[in-house]
Amino acid sequence: MLDIKNIYKNFGDLKVLKGVSTHVEKGEVISLIGVSGSGKSTLLRCMNLLETPTFGEVWMEGKLLTPVDPYLHFDVIRASKTYARLTAEGLTDEEAIEKIKKNDLLHEKHGAEGKEYVRLMKQIYAENHLDANLARQKMGMVFQQFNLFNNKTVLGNITLAPVKIGIARMKAAKRAGKPVTETKESIQAAAEKKAMELLKRIGLEDKAGSYPSSLSGGQKQRIAIIRALAMDPDVMLFDEPTSALDPEMVGEVLDLIKELAKSGMTMVVVTHEMGFAREVSDRVLFVDEGYIKEEGSPEEIFKNPKDAHLKDFLSKVL
Amino acid sequence: MGSTFFSNIIKLISRYGHVFLLEGVVYTLLLSLIAVAGGSVLGSLFALAKRSKFIPLRAVVSAIVEIVRGTPMLLQLYAGVFIFPQIVPALKELPDIVSVIIVLIINSGAYVSEVIRSGIQAVDIGQTEAARSLGLSARTTMMSVVLPQAVKNILPALGNEFITVIKETSLASTFYVGELMTSYLKVKGNTFLTLETLTIVGVLYFVLTFTLSKLLQAAERKMKHA
Repeated sequence: MLDIKNIYKNFGDLKVLKGVSTHVEKGEVISLIGVSGSGKSTLLRCMNLLETPTFGEVWMEGKLLTPVDPYLHFDVIRASKTYARLTAEGLTDEEAIEKIKKNDLLHEKHGAEGKEYVRLMKQIYAENHLDANLARQKMGMVFQQFNLFNNKTVLGNITLAPVKIGIARMKAAKRAGKPVTETKESIQAAAEKKAMELLKRIGLEDKAGSYPSSLSGGQKQRIAIIRALAMDPDVMLFDEPTSALDPEMVGEVLDLIKELAKSGMTMVVVTHEMGFAREVSDRVLFVDEGYIKEEGSPEEIFKNPKDAHLKDFLSKVL
Repeated sequence: MGSTFFSNIIKLISRYGHVFLLEGVVYTLLLSLIAVAGGSVLGSLFALAKRSKFIPLRAVVSAIVEIVRGTPMLLQLYAGVFIFPQIVPALKELPDIVSVIIVLIINSGAYVSEVIRSGIQAVDIGQTEAARSLGLSARTTMMSVVLPQAVKNILPALGNEFITVIKETSLASTFYVGELMTSYLKVKGNTFLTLETLTIVGVLYFVLTFTLSKLLQAAERKMKHA
């Protein structure tokens, strides 16, 4: 479903991710654990391109989400004659790639190979690229700080994206000359009906007309979760969903996430709740110093950790 | 002296009331309204330009805003009425009041652009991230989520800008354009009653700005509940 290939992320001089690759299978529940500042939230935010990776690729169901920068494709660089020439001159793999990137050697201005290379990149882009906005419609995200829209009611929060995107799709279909049976009103009505069903599911249908400022943290977060579900996502990303909650509200939010996991939703969860990670995850990734230092089943990670930092981390949090 | 002062004021009001109210106050309000309305439009354009990816546009607009904010209003009025017409002869055809209005709009636009920019910036980045994470475009996010919240931050500051402009239009009296301070010059010229005339004009300015700021406070209180 999601393929993360060799992701690097720098914020200025700060190197947060230093080459992370992983994949997310359909129906899989993955937990990202690690100390604060290890890069686990950044990794999650790179998955739906809220952060654009400095290098590397994010693929979703065979479609490329990251911008196509020639120099992100190490394999293609290695296949070039320029690379062959440089390595023949005695440069190592890393030095050769570095030199090509730095001097922009695979550019149109550097002759036939540059031209061919740029053509190839354009082709990769045309065949594989998926607009990040479209991709995000299929990737729900839940934030630590809830981020409900303050200017909208609970119902407005849940229906905003389905309505706006529904109307945009309808207009696009009309422009393309396809038969359209929907109207703005029918889209709005369908979105509201669905929103009310979702609210009923979490027992908050009486809050439909309330503004976020009148809700408790636990209520806000559960509404943020169903707001994402209203888009029928294929995968849900959770960024420390319970870290900003009062202790007595953590349970209700975790219960909803567990219920989602049981229903077969594909999920990636950044969490500090080790009990939760152990209970619901199919796979646990330990992120440390910008790398995935260890990954495995909850059993392996929690009972038999190998990495020294992971052992140290677990001894502190368990 | 006390009794002549008050009887003079009453005389002035009965004789020149129309000059103060119909000319002075109306012109002052009109000038301020045009300046703030035009300034809001121009300020929005400035604010958009400042967020543009096209660097020359950003630089030019930033320069205009900084120059306007860094020089006195009176100097800008002189530039608009006397200096620019020297450089661009076509501007000589413009009546003074039009030049004054243009300067007021540009001046107000520079301040309003800062108000809008900071209003947008004050909206939590999490709001934008949540909207984008749902797949909404940058444009829809701005129109449906960020701007409606920014307006709440912007409106009170825009009201204050209106109050400031009301007071600043007094500088336009240098060019005798008919606003409240011009009424002072006119009436004083006819009657030689400086203190009394100034008192009337001062009270009128105060009533205008005080009423407005109270209205603003009420509006702000109402918006807090929404």
